Amino acid sequence: MPTDDDDLVFKALADPTRRLLLDQLFARDGLTLTELEAEVPELTRFGVMKHLAVLEQAGLVVTRKQGRNKHHYLNPVPIRLIYERWIGKYRDRQVTALLDLKDHLEGRT
Amino acid sequence: MTTATDTATATQVYQLYIRAGQQQVWDAITNPAIVARFFHGAQVESTYQPGSPLRSWSPDRSQQWGDNTVLECDPPRKLVHTWRSLYDPDLAAEPESRVTWEIEEQPGGFSKLTLIHDRLDQSPKTAASVKGWSYILSNLKTVIETGEPLPPIL
Repeated sequence: MPTDDDDLVFKALADPTRRLLLDQLFARDGLTLTELEAEVPELTRFGVMKHLAVLEQAGLVVTRKQGRNKHHYLNPVPIRLIYERWIGKYRDRQVTALLDLKDHLEGRT
Repeated sequence: MTTATDTATATQVYQLYIRAGQQQVWDAITNPAIVARFFHGAQVESTYQPGSPLRSWSPDRSQQWGDNTVLECDPPRKLVHTWRSLYDPDLAAEPESRVTWEIEEQPGGFSKLTLIHDRLDQSPKTAASVKGWSYILSNLKTVIETGEPLPPIL
């Protein structure tokens, strides 16, 4: 049961094949298993399914049923949460400081 | 090869877990005072009755940002509304798309929030602009779990 587990996200991203599958979904979201399989011919159907299960468990891929087809979507939120936790909060402060400096130097404050 | 008319690719799906009950998440997404805190300060007005408008304005109300209609309202589980951005003429010129919020109660005091933004096949600029849902939803999580909004996006 995926919850707030960063470990699952990092483990899922630690594998080049899984990153390749995410790249495929980034290029074209909502692919079915058969379509994904065709995009990654070096993997067997079982291999694609196995890797998708890990990505799904980590919340990086979300599936939706549409008629008889199951579509796979790249879910960017877990990566955003990691970004917020370690990068965003520092970067925003620095950027704000730089913008303040720019305003000051340009005589706008 | 991406085809603009492919229904699946005209759909974006965002999902996250929030440490809060279903009702608390529902209240956050339908309470204008809370929406303002996670959605760029937007001032939202709606009765949330199906068929009624769901409009949003800039924080100082000088500019209308969104002109939407509530399609379905099933508290505290599901909210569906149309999506049309007015803050940019290019976006306003594109056809309406649709946003679905689904909240599912999970074990351990969590809720699973899924946001589906679809019917984007004829609205490529809108599709690109709403990639910011990740930021909005992570902000929503922070507001609900800690009561504090993130620093403003630049």
